[in-house]
Parts: sequence; C-alpha cells; structure tokens
Amino acid sequence: MGEIIENVSFTATSAIHEFLKKTPLQDIINWGRKNSLWFLTQPMGCCGVEMIAAGCSHYDTDRFGIIPRVSPRQADVIVISGYVTKKYLPALKRLWDQMPSPKWVICMGDCSISGGPFYESYSTVQNIDEIFPIDVFIPGCPPRPEALIQGFIELQKKIMAREDKGSEY
Amino acid sequence: MEQTIAPSEMLLHLGPQHAIQPGPYLLDLKLRGETVVDAELEMGYIHKGIEKILENKTYLQGITITDRICYLAALTNNEVFCNCVEKLVGIEPPQRSQYIRVIMEELSRIQSHLLGIGEFSTDLGFVTMFLYMIREREEVLSLIDMVTGSRITHSYLRFGGVREDLPEGFAEKAMSVLNDINKKLDEHEDLYNTDKIYLQRTVGVGVLTAKIASDLGVSGPPLRAAGVAFDIRKNEPYLVYNDLDFKVCTEKEGDIFARIKVRLDEIRESIYIIEQAFDQIPQGPLFPVGTPYGRRTPVMRVPAGEVFCRVEDPRGEMGMYMISDGSDKPYRVKIRGPVFPTMQALPPLIKGTYVADVAAIAASMDGCTSEADR
Amino acid sequence: MNANNIIKSLTEKFPNEILEPNVESNIRISSYVDKDAIVNVCKHLLETLEFDHLSCECGVDYPDRNEIEVVYHIASYSHPVVLTLKAKLDRDEPQIESIVSIYWNANWYERETYELYGVKYTNHPDLKPLLLPEDMLGEWPLRKDYEGFPNKTAKNLV
Repeated sequence: MGEIIENVSFTATSAIHEFLKKTPLQDIINWGRKNSLWFLTQPMGCCGVEMIAAGCSHYDTDRFGIIPRVSPRQADVIVISGYVTKKYLPALKRLWDQMPSPKWVICMGDCSISGGPFYESYSTVQNIDEIFPIDVFIPGCPPRPEALIQGFIELQKKIMAREDKGSEY
Repeated sequence: MEQTIAPSEMLLHLGPQHAIQPGPYLLDLKLRGETVVDAELEMGYIHKGIEKILENKTYLQGITITDRICYLAALTNNEVFCNCVEKLVGIEPPQRSQYIRVIMEELSRIQSHLLGIGEFSTDLGFVTMFLYMIREREEVLSLIDMVTGSRITHSYLRFGGVREDLPEGFAEKAMSVLNDINKKLDEHEDLYNTDKIYLQRTVGVGVLTAKIASDLGVSGPPLRAAGVAFDIRKNEPYLVYNDLDFKVCTEKEGDIFARIKVRLDEIRESIYIIEQAFDQIPQGPLFPVGTPYGRRTPVMRVPAGEVFCRVEDPRGEMGMYMISDGSDKPYRVKIRGPVFPTMQALPPLIKGTYVADVAAIAASMDGCTSEADR
Repeated sequence: MNANNIIKSLTEKFPNEILEPNVESNIRISSYVDKDAIVNVCKHLLETLEFDHLSCECGVDYPDRNEIEVVYHIASYSHPVVLTLKAKLDRDEPQIESIVSIYWNANWYERETYELYGVKYTNHPDLKPLLLPEDMLGEWPLRKDYEGFPNKTAKNLV
C-alpha cells in the first residue's frame, strides 16, 4: 500500500476473501458477478463475427449484463473465438494475464475446442483446454449468436453454483 | 522499419488486439509528435494453412474449407473454387443455377458491405450507424439463412450447380426486405452527408490516387473510389453478369468519404441486380442434365490441368490458381485474396498522416484478416 | 490487346527466354520463362503491353522432377488477358531475382513464397518471414515432403 492514512488500517492478505467464500455472502457477490459479465471482443475468425453480431441490437446481450468491451483491462470473460495459431498464442496469453480477476474463459466454435476444420494444420495450436481454464465450450462452426448467449447463461449458472474455474473455492 | 528511434520519436504498437481491427494484426507506428513517420504491418496471427489443407482434401471436402477463407464472403469463395473445378472438368451450370448464384452472391455482397461500413463507423465513434447497419445486416443474413441454412459458412455451391433450390415465396420476401433496406440506406446516407464531424474526419483524408492505387495493386472499392473502373464482373464476366444491367460505381476523390460512398452505391446496385435476376430467372434443373454431378457428387477425379479463375469479391479481385494431377485431390491451390494487397498498401498510405486518422484509414479499407492470412 | 499479339510480341522480343508459349483461350495465355530473364520480361510487359497489375505470385513444388516452379499471374486493369509466367528453379537451391522493382506488390508475395517454399529472392528489399513465426523458418511447410502435416498433437480425436 502506498501512503498511510491515519486511523485506517490496511490488510495485504486475502484472508477476508477466503473467509467470505465460506459464508452465504459469497452468493450475493456471485449474483453481482454473474449479472455483469463483460466480454473481450477480439475476433479471431468466423466466430468473431457472430460474437460481434451477438453484442449488437438484434441479439442484444446487454439485457443479461453481457457487454462487449475492447480492452482486456475492463473485461471479465475472454471468448476464444477461433483457431489459435502458434504466432498468436503468446499474445492471447498476455491478454489473459492483463485481465483482472475474477475472470472466465469461453471456448467458442469447433476450432478452439478441437481444431475444427484446421485440426491438422501446421500452424495451429491444439489442446487449448490445457492452456486456459475453460468453463464453457460452445460447439458449432460457427455457433449461432443464440448459442453464444446460451453459453453465457450456462456460465452464469456455474458461477451461482460455485462450480466455475474462474474463482477458487 | 527501423526499431531504433530518435529521442523525439515514439513507437506505438496497434495490436494484435485492438479496437480498430477486424482480426488480429500488428501495426507498428513510429510517431514524431502526432505525425506517423514510418509504419509497418505484421500479420499471420491467424494463418491456418488453408492452401496445404486443400491439397489434402478431396474436391467436395474443399468447398467446406473455402467457406472459412473469408467469413464475410463465403459464397464468392465457394464460387471461385467451383469455377476452377468446373473449368477443369468442362461443365457449365444450367441457367437457373447461375441466376441463383448471382442472387446469393449479391446478397452476400450486401451484408459484407453493411458490416464493412458499420465497423468503419464504430472506429470513428459513430456507434449509432454501426447498430443501424447491423440491424439491416441481420435482415439480409436471415434471407441467406432461409436458402442455405446457415448464417456465415454456407457450403452452398456445388460443382455444376447449387445445393438447394430457392424456397417458395423467397423472391417476394427478399424484395420486400431489400426495398426496405434501399429506403433506409437513403436515410443513413443523409446522416453521413450532413454530419459535420464525420465530414471533417473523412473528406480529403487518406487519399489514394488512381496512379498510386494501381501501382500498389489494390482492387475493389478502394480502387474504384480512386476512379479506376476495374470490376471483374464487367472486365471478365462470369455467370450471367453479361445479361444483367448494372454499372461500376466509381468516385474521383479517392479519400475515405469516397470509399464509403462507393460501398453504399454498390449496395444499391446489388439490389438492382437481384431485382433483375428475380425477373429473368428461368425454370429448369439445378445441375447439368446427363452428368453425374449433383448435390452429392461421388468421389470425382478431375482431369489433369491448371486454371486461374477470378471473381469479384466484396473486397476486390478474388483469384484462385488450381493445378490438378488427375487424382481426387488438387495438387496445388493458390488463393489470391483481395485483402492481401490492400493490407500491403496500408503502411505507405498512413505514412505522413496524423495518428488520429490511422483508425479511420485502416477501417475504411475494410480488411479481413482471415482472408489475408489464410 | 489480343492474346495472340501478346505472345507474338513476347517471342519476338525474347526468342530464347520465352519457352513453350501457349494460348489457352482468348483471355488466358501461359508460358515458361528463363529464370535469369524474369525482370526484363516483366519490364517489357509493364512498359509496352499494359500488364500493369501483378495479380498473384506463388510457388509450386515438384519433388519428382526435383524442381520448384515460381508462377506469376500478371494481369491488367485495362484488358482482361491474364498471363501465366512460370520459371523453373532447382529444388535444392531455389533462387531467382526479385521483381519488386517492377511490381511493388510482389513484395509480400515473395516473402510468403520464401517462408513457405524456401525460394530465395535476390535484390529483395526486406526478405523475412511474413505469416509464420520466426522459429518455423526453414521448415518450408508447403513443400510436398514436409513432415509436420498432418499435425497429430490434438488429443481425444475420434
């Protein structure tokens, strides 16, 4: 902590969070978190276009508190929306590191789940689930925006049930 | 670009993830004050090796892969691939199939341009237009969805024809949607033409003259905005474009405003083409009669030979070079996407401009990283 | 511009360098070219025959003939004729002169062919990988004998 303010004590430990996780108060925190899942728009392929379409007026994910952001610093969810190549993987890891906790990952489309049509390519990286803690997989090539919204709702359910990989229990 | 910089200079990395980008690429800018003195573009972040994969797939499987070259123009990518195979085999789709292809490809052009203009508008901070354009685009996408069964990656074309006939009542539905879009487009253009801030940021900015554009090998709307009437549909007609009446939309100025104007005009021209195609479309079979080609073509062997085909993509000249060695897989496929030269022309274009204009110029070229990287 | 006239003009100007000229149709012509003459041929095409648009440049691998062909598709903004020029290179040490000085947009095509096939372009302003990461240089993935394809690292494949 930087400057000392009189009569105010700071703690550098996360003991309070550890304590809260054992109490029902965590449910209220989770309720707040699940209703503001801001996702990072970083279109990486066909699914990226559907991701943009999902955030716009027709599908309107705003009504679930799911808002597209372009900066990783403001995002809670990263949607891996396409093939991860050997060249892009370091940048993707860095984006993931730049996001503040708690944070979640969604795998959108066959390419990020299993490689999709490009599973045998010399340029793509396989087994993304070993690199990122992925909560929801959305199959499809590309999945429709409705499927993406359903994926977010599944993530909300997981957060409420305290089963997500984003926060440690 | 030299990575060493003088004390008065600054290095700015835009990307690989940035708000202006339709996909990941890295734009390195060297700034002196607010002026860009040097720029370099690095790409390949979503290079997936499509050419190698196509060499190892049969021709029918290849159609599915060509969808994913550019996700905004899947139908024109299908078209160029099927065109190559049809020329090698020596078949021609019947008239009805050709008209259906024209209708679908023009619909695809409309949705691509709508997204292109929309994305450009957000990058200027004109988010209202983005939402309007996406609203219109969803209508067009549901039309395409009605015929092909998917929104983006259709795999709709087959060798010698198309997979499905148009559903009943499609023409009336399509024309009512398109007439609606035509009316709304006039309103949108009014918004663009009367917005002072928009005009200040676009008129006279990022000028690409005809001489420079053709030297850089650019094609599509950025070239036509500079006054060169280069359109494969006119220069080297394929399908039934010879029987249809349309004009090549050009502007003289070559600035950002002209590029957007050309795209808006092309949407209207595409609607006009679709209207004519619905009037002229004949009844008949979807596949050439007396040949084994159909919805599910059996394992086919293509005669040895080579061919170079070109079609007009929403973004410019889309070419494909195919070599067949007589087996059931192509020996070599080279995809010549229109965005590759357009992206290459970006660094010289933004050299000498202000850093605030970089976003507007880059977005106005309507790049599709997936296609440039392949 | 007529396809036959173009071939005639080329063969008259370069009798020994232009080999096997072939008129496929009235808008497609192809020919082999001697690899040492590529820059001069391109200069002639640009200056006198209105071929002002390099449409595409790529490599093709023929391991059984021990050759790599570099294929240039040269088109024009004013007429629909596309000329396919092919140059045969030795597969063990493919090398050809760059045409960036004639067609500016050959730059990236040549960088791409370099990293995918290993074709060395002399006089290229900045020959370095374009699409692949630096550490994949030297694998030449689009050659027919490349061993990394198909990639078998994916798990749980059915």
